[in-house]
Amino acid sequence: MMADTTAIGTMTADLPEFADLVRAYQRMVFSIAYHFLHDRAGAEDIAQEVFLQLHRTLSSLKSEAHIRAWLCKVTSHRCIDYARSRKADLPLDRIPEPVSKPSSGDPLMAALVQRAVASLPPKVRIVVVLRYQEDLEPAEIARVLGLRVNTVKSQLHRSLDILRQKLGGTLGDVES
Amino acid sequence: MNRLENELRNALKREEPPEGFADRVLARVSERKQVSRMNFFMWPSLKWAFAGALCLLLVVAGVEYRQDKQEQARGEAAKAQLMLALRITAGKLQLAQEKVQQIGALQRY
Repeated sequence: MMADTTAIGTMTADLPEFADLVRAYQRMVFSIAYHFLHDRAGAEDIAQEVFLQLHRTLSSLKSEAHIRAWLCKVTSHRCIDYARSRKADLPLDRIPEPVSKPSSGDPLMAALVQRAVASLPPKVRIVVVLRYQEDLEPAEIARVLGLRVNTVKSQLHRSLDILRQKLGGTLGDVES
Repeated sequence: MNRLENELRNALKREEPPEGFADRVLARVSERKQVSRMNFFMWPSLKWAFAGALCLLLVVAGVEYRQDKQEQARGEAAKAQLMLALRITAGKLQLAQEKVQQIGALQRY
Protein backbone atom coordinates (compact mmCIF):
# COMPACT_ATOMS: atom_id res chain seq x y z
CA MET A 1 0.00 0.00 0.00
CA MET A 2 1.39 3.39 -0.92
CA ALA A 3 0.91 5.21 2.33
CA ASP A 4 1.66 8.90 2.23
CA THR A 5 -0.42 9.56 5.28
CA THR A 6 0.46 11.33 8.49
CA ALA A 7 -0.90 10.71 11.94
CA ILE A 8 -4.08 12.67 12.40
CA GLY A 9 -5.53 12.86 15.88
CA THR A 10 -9.20 13.59 16.21
CA MET A 11 -11.30 13.97 13.10
CA THR A 12 -12.14 17.62 13.29
CA ALA A 13 -12.92 20.17 10.64
CA ASP A 14 -10.45 22.69 12.14
CA LEU A 15 -8.35 24.23 9.44
CA PRO A 16 -4.85 23.21 10.66
CA GLU A 17 -5.88 19.56 11.09
CA PHE A 18 -7.71 19.65 7.80
CA ALA A 19 -4.63 21.10 6.09
CA ASP A 20 -2.66 18.08 7.34
CA LEU A 21 -5.29 15.79 5.85
CA VAL A 22 -5.19 17.56 2.49
CA ARG A 23 -1.40 17.35 2.37
CA ALA A 24 -1.48 13.69 3.39
CA TYR A 25 -3.98 12.57 0.78
CA GLN A 26 -3.63 15.07 -2.07
CA ARG A 27 -1.38 12.80 -4.14
CA MET A 28 -3.72 9.85 -3.79
CA VAL A 29 -6.90 11.78 -4.64
CA PHE A 30 -5.35 13.79 -7.46
CA SER A 31 -3.71 10.70 -8.98
CA ILE A 32 -6.91 8.63 -9.00
CA ALA A 33 -8.67 11.48 -10.81
CA TYR A 34 -5.72 12.13 -13.10
CA HIS A 35 -5.25 8.51 -14.15
CA PHE A 36 -8.97 8.21 -14.69
CA LEU A 37 -9.43 11.44 -16.68
CA HIS A 38 -5.99 11.85 -18.20
CA ASP A 39 -6.50 15.60 -17.78
CA ARG A 40 -4.69 17.55 -15.06
CA ALA A 41 -7.15 20.48 -14.92
CA GLY A 42 -10.15 18.17 -14.67
CA ALA A 43 -8.35 16.05 -12.09
CA GLU A 44 -7.62 19.13 -9.97
CA ASP A 45 -11.29 20.19 -10.15
CA ILE A 46 -12.45 16.78 -8.99
CA ALA A 47 -9.78 16.58 -6.27
CA GLN A 48 -10.72 20.01 -4.92
CA GLU A 49 -14.41 19.10 -4.81
CA VAL A 50 -13.57 15.83 -3.04
CA PHE A 51 -11.63 17.69 -0.32
CA LEU A 52 -14.40 20.28 0.09
CA GLN A 53 -16.86 17.43 0.53
CA LEU A 54 -14.45 15.81 3.02
CA HIS A 55 -14.42 19.03 5.05
CA ARG A 56 -18.23 18.97 5.25
CA THR A 57 -18.32 15.27 6.17
CA LEU A 58 -15.26 15.03 8.40
CA SER A 59 -17.06 14.93 11.74
CA SER A 60 -18.95 11.79 10.71
CA LEU A 61 -15.79 9.85 9.81
CA LYS A 62 -14.49 7.74 12.66
CA SER A 63 -10.82 7.19 11.91
CA GLU A 64 -8.06 7.81 9.43
CA ALA A 65 -8.68 4.40 7.87
CA HIS A 66 -12.24 5.49 7.22
CA ILE A 67 -10.97 8.70 5.67
CA ARG A 68 -8.78 6.87 3.16
CA ALA A 69 -11.61 4.52 2.15
CA TRP A 70 -14.02 7.45 2.00
CA LEU A 71 -11.66 9.45 -0.22
CA CYS A 72 -11.15 6.51 -2.60
CA LYS A 73 -14.91 5.99 -2.79
CA VAL A 74 -15.91 9.62 -3.31
CA THR A 75 -13.13 10.29 -5.81
CA SER A 76 -14.07 7.18 -7.79
CA HIS A 77 -17.74 8.09 -7.91
CA ARG A 78 -17.00 11.68 -8.87
CA CYS A 79 -14.75 10.45 -11.67
CA ILE A 80 -17.46 8.13 -13.00
CA ASP A 81 -20.04 10.93 -12.79
CA TYR A 82 -17.65 13.28 -14.60
CA ALA A 83 -17.16 10.70 -17.37
CA ARG A 84 -20.94 10.26 -17.63
CA SER A 85 -21.43 14.00 -17.93
CA ARG A 86 -18.98 14.04 -20.82
CA LYS A 87 -21.12 11.20 -22.28
CA ALA A 88 -18.85 9.64 -24.86
CA ASP A 89 -15.49 8.14 -24.03
CA LEU A 90 -12.54 9.70 -25.74
CA PRO A 91 -11.23 7.63 -28.60
CA LEU A 92 -7.64 6.51 -28.08
CA ASP A 93 -6.22 8.94 -30.65
CA ARG A 94 -7.86 11.94 -28.92
CA ILE A 95 -6.46 11.20 -25.48
CA PRO A 96 -3.64 13.69 -24.77
CA GLU A 97 -0.11 12.71 -23.93
CA PRO A 98 0.60 12.82 -20.18
CA VAL A 99 2.24 16.04 -18.99
CA SER A 100 4.35 14.50 -16.24
CA LYS A 101 6.41 11.47 -17.06
CA PRO A 102 6.64 8.51 -14.69
CA SER A 103 9.77 8.54 -12.57
CA SER A 104 11.01 5.07 -13.48
CA GLY A 105 10.58 2.49 -16.24
CA ASP A 106 10.07 3.17 -19.91
CA PRO A 107 8.35 6.57 -20.18
CA LEU A 108 7.13 5.88 -23.71
CA MET A 109 5.56 2.60 -22.65
CA ALA A 110 4.06 4.25 -19.58
CA ALA A 111 2.48 6.93 -21.77
CA LEU A 112 1.01 4.28 -24.07
CA VAL A 113 -0.35 2.31 -21.11
CA GLN A 114 -1.87 5.47 -19.60
CA ARG A 115 -3.60 6.26 -22.89
CA ALA A 116 -4.85 2.71 -23.19
CA VAL A 117 -6.20 2.80 -19.62
CA ALA A 118 -7.88 6.16 -20.31
CA SER A 119 -9.73 4.59 -23.23
CA LEU A 120 -11.35 1.87 -21.08
CA PRO A 121 -15.05 2.21 -20.17
CA PRO A 122 -15.37 4.36 -17.02
CA LYS A 123 -16.56 1.65 -14.61
CA VAL A 124 -13.79 -0.71 -15.65
CA ARG A 125 -11.21 2.08 -15.77
CA ILE A 126 -11.73 3.06 -12.15
CA VAL A 127 -11.25 -0.56 -11.08
CA VAL A 128 -7.92 -0.67 -12.93
CA VAL A 129 -6.79 2.64 -11.40
CA LEU A 130 -7.65 1.53 -7.86
CA ARG A 131 -5.99 -1.85 -8.42
CA TYR A 132 -2.73 -0.68 -9.98
CA GLN A 133 -2.33 2.81 -8.58
CA GLU A 134 -3.52 2.23 -5.02
CA ASP A 135 -2.68 -1.49 -4.94
CA LEU A 136 -6.13 -2.28 -3.54
CA GLU A 137 -7.20 -5.92 -3.42
CA PRO A 138 -10.38 -6.86 -5.33
CA ALA A 139 -12.26 -7.14 -2.01
CA GLU A 140 -11.23 -3.60 -1.05
CA ILE A 141 -12.18 -2.27 -4.49
CA ALA A 142 -15.53 -4.02 -4.15
CA ARG A 143 -16.13 -2.27 -0.81
CA VAL A 144 -15.08 1.12 -2.19
CA LEU A 145 -17.26 0.89 -5.29
CA GLY A 146 -20.14 -1.02 -3.72
CA LEU A 147 -19.71 -3.98 -6.08
CA ARG A 148 -19.43 -7.73 -5.57
CA VAL A 149 -15.91 -9.14 -5.38
CA ASN A 150 -16.60 -11.42 -8.34
CA THR A 151 -17.72 -8.46 -10.41
CA VAL A 152 -14.49 -6.63 -9.62
CA LYS A 153 -12.44 -9.70 -10.48
CA SER A 154 -14.22 -10.17 -13.79
CA GLN A 155 -13.87 -6.46 -14.62
CA LEU A 156 -10.14 -6.64 -13.90
CA HIS A 157 -9.83 -9.73 -16.04
CA ARG A 158 -11.79 -8.09 -18.84
CA SER A 159 -9.81 -4.88 -18.66
CA LEU A 160 -6.50 -6.74 -18.82
CA ASP A 161 -7.77 -8.55 -21.91
CA ILE A 162 -8.74 -5.24 -23.54
CA LEU A 163 -5.39 -3.68 -22.62
CA ARG A 164 -3.51 -6.69 -23.99
CA GLN A 165 -5.37 -6.29 -27.26
CA LYS A 166 -4.66 -2.57 -27.41
CA LEU A 167 -1.02 -2.85 -26.41
CA GLY A 168 -0.36 -6.29 -27.83
CA GLY A 169 2.16 -5.24 -30.44
CA THR A 170 3.88 -2.79 -28.13
CA LEU A 171 4.22 -5.14 -25.19
CA GLY A 172 5.57 -8.00 -27.28
CA ASP A 173 4.94 -11.40 -25.86
CA VAL A 174 2.72 -10.76 -22.86
CA GLU A 175 2.24 -13.50 -20.36
CA SER A 176 -1.30 -14.10 -19.25
CA MET B 1 2.86 -10.88 -11.93
CA ASN B 2 2.98 -10.54 -15.73
CA ARG B 3 4.55 -7.80 -17.78
CA LEU B 4 1.30 -5.98 -18.45
CA GLU B 5 0.60 -5.68 -14.72
CA ASN B 6 4.12 -4.37 -14.15
CA GLU B 7 3.64 -1.79 -16.87
CA LEU B 8 0.29 -0.80 -15.35
CA ARG B 9 1.87 -0.29 -11.92
CA ASN B 10 4.61 1.78 -13.48
CA ALA B 11 2.24 3.87 -15.61
CA LEU B 12 -0.26 4.42 -12.82
CA LYS B 13 2.14 5.62 -10.16
CA ARG B 14 0.88 8.46 -8.02
CA GLU B 15 1.38 11.88 -9.57
CA GLU B 16 2.19 15.10 -7.75
CA PRO B 17 -0.77 17.47 -7.80
CA PRO B 18 -0.21 20.89 -9.39
CA GLU B 19 1.80 23.43 -7.38
CA GLY B 20 -0.27 25.12 -4.67
CA PHE B 21 -3.09 22.57 -4.83
CA ALA B 22 -3.43 22.23 -1.03
CA ASP B 23 -3.40 26.02 -0.61
CA ARG B 24 -6.18 26.41 -3.17
CA VAL B 25 -8.28 23.79 -1.38
CA LEU B 26 -7.71 25.45 2.00
CA ALA B 27 -8.55 28.88 0.54
CA ARG B 28 -11.85 27.52 -0.75
CA VAL B 29 -12.59 25.94 2.64
CA SER B 30 -11.88 29.25 4.43
CA GLU B 31 -14.03 31.11 1.91
CA ARG B 32 -16.90 28.70 2.52
CA LYS B 33 -16.47 28.95 6.28
CA GLN B 34 -16.73 32.75 6.05
CA VAL B 35 -19.84 32.54 3.90
CA SER B 36 -21.49 30.07 6.27
CA ARG B 37 -20.48 32.27 9.26
CA MET B 38 -22.08 35.26 7.51
CA ASN B 39 -25.17 33.22 6.87
CA PHE B 40 -25.18 32.12 10.50
CA PHE B 41 -25.16 35.73 11.70
CA MET B 42 -27.31 37.25 8.99
CA TRP B 43 -30.09 34.79 8.50
CA PRO B 44 -31.33 34.59 12.11
CA SER B 45 -31.64 38.38 12.32
CA LEU B 46 -33.37 38.49 8.94
CA LYS B 47 -35.68 35.73 10.05
CA TRP B 48 -36.46 37.56 13.29
CA ALA B 49 -37.07 40.80 11.40
CA PHE B 50 -39.39 38.99 9.01
CA ALA B 51 -41.22 37.32 11.90
CA GLY B 52 -41.54 40.68 13.69
CA ALA B 53 -42.88 42.37 10.58
CA LEU B 54 -45.37 39.55 10.09
CA CYS B 55 -46.56 39.81 13.72
CA LEU B 56 -46.94 43.58 13.40
CA LEU B 57 -48.89 43.13 10.18
CA LEU B 58 -51.18 40.60 11.86
CA VAL B 59 -51.77 42.90 14.85
CA VAL B 60 -52.53 45.90 12.59
CA ALA B 61 -54.85 43.78 10.44
CA GLY B 62 -56.58 42.45 13.59
CA VAL B 63 -57.10 45.92 15.03
CA GLU B 64 -58.37 47.18 11.68
CA TYR B 65 -60.80 44.27 11.40
CA ARG B 66 -62.05 44.81 14.94
CA GLN B 67 -62.57 48.52 14.29
CA ASP B 68 -64.45 47.71 11.10
CA LYS B 69 -66.66 45.28 12.98
CA GLN B 70 -67.35 47.84 15.75
CA GLU B 71 -68.12 50.50 13.15
CA GLN B 72 -70.47 48.11 11.41
CA ALA B 73 -72.19 47.25 14.71
CA ARG B 74 -72.58 50.96 15.55
CA GLY B 75 -74.04 51.56 12.10
CA GLU B 76 -76.49 48.69 12.54
CA ALA B 77 -77.55 50.03 15.96
CA ALA B 78 -78.03 53.56 14.56
CA LYS B 79 -80.08 52.16 11.69
CA ALA B 80 -82.26 50.19 14.11
CA GLN B 81 -82.76 53.31 16.26
CA LEU B 82 -83.67 55.36 13.19
CA MET B 83 -86.16 52.73 12.06
CA LEU B 84 -87.69 52.69 15.54
CA ALA B 85 -87.90 56.49 15.56
CA LEU B 86 -89.53 56.44 12.12
CA ARG B 87 -92.01 53.80 13.26
CA ILE B 88 -92.89 55.89 16.37
CA THR B 89 -93.21 59.04 14.29
CA ALA B 90 -95.41 57.23 11.77
CA GLY B 91 -97.60 55.99 14.63
CA LYS B 92 -97.88 59.49 16.10
CA LEU B 93 -98.73 60.95 12.68
CA GLN B 94 -101.35 58.28 12.15
CA LEU B 95 -102.85 59.16 15.54
CA ALA B 96 -102.81 62.90 14.78
CA GLN B 97 -104.45 62.29 11.40
CA GLU B 98 -107.22 60.25 13.05
CA LYS B 99 -107.81 63.04 15.61
CA VAL B 100 -107.98 65.65 12.85
CA GLN B 101 -110.47 63.50 10.94
CA GLN B 102 -112.57 63.01 14.08
CA ILE B 103 -112.64 66.80 14.78
CA GLY B 104 -113.57 67.52 11.15
CA ALA B 105 -116.45 65.04 11.34
CA LEU B 106 -117.79 66.58 14.58
CA GLN B 107 -117.70 70.08 13.05
CA ARG B 108 -119.68 68.91 10.01
CA TYR B 109 -122.51 67.58 12.24
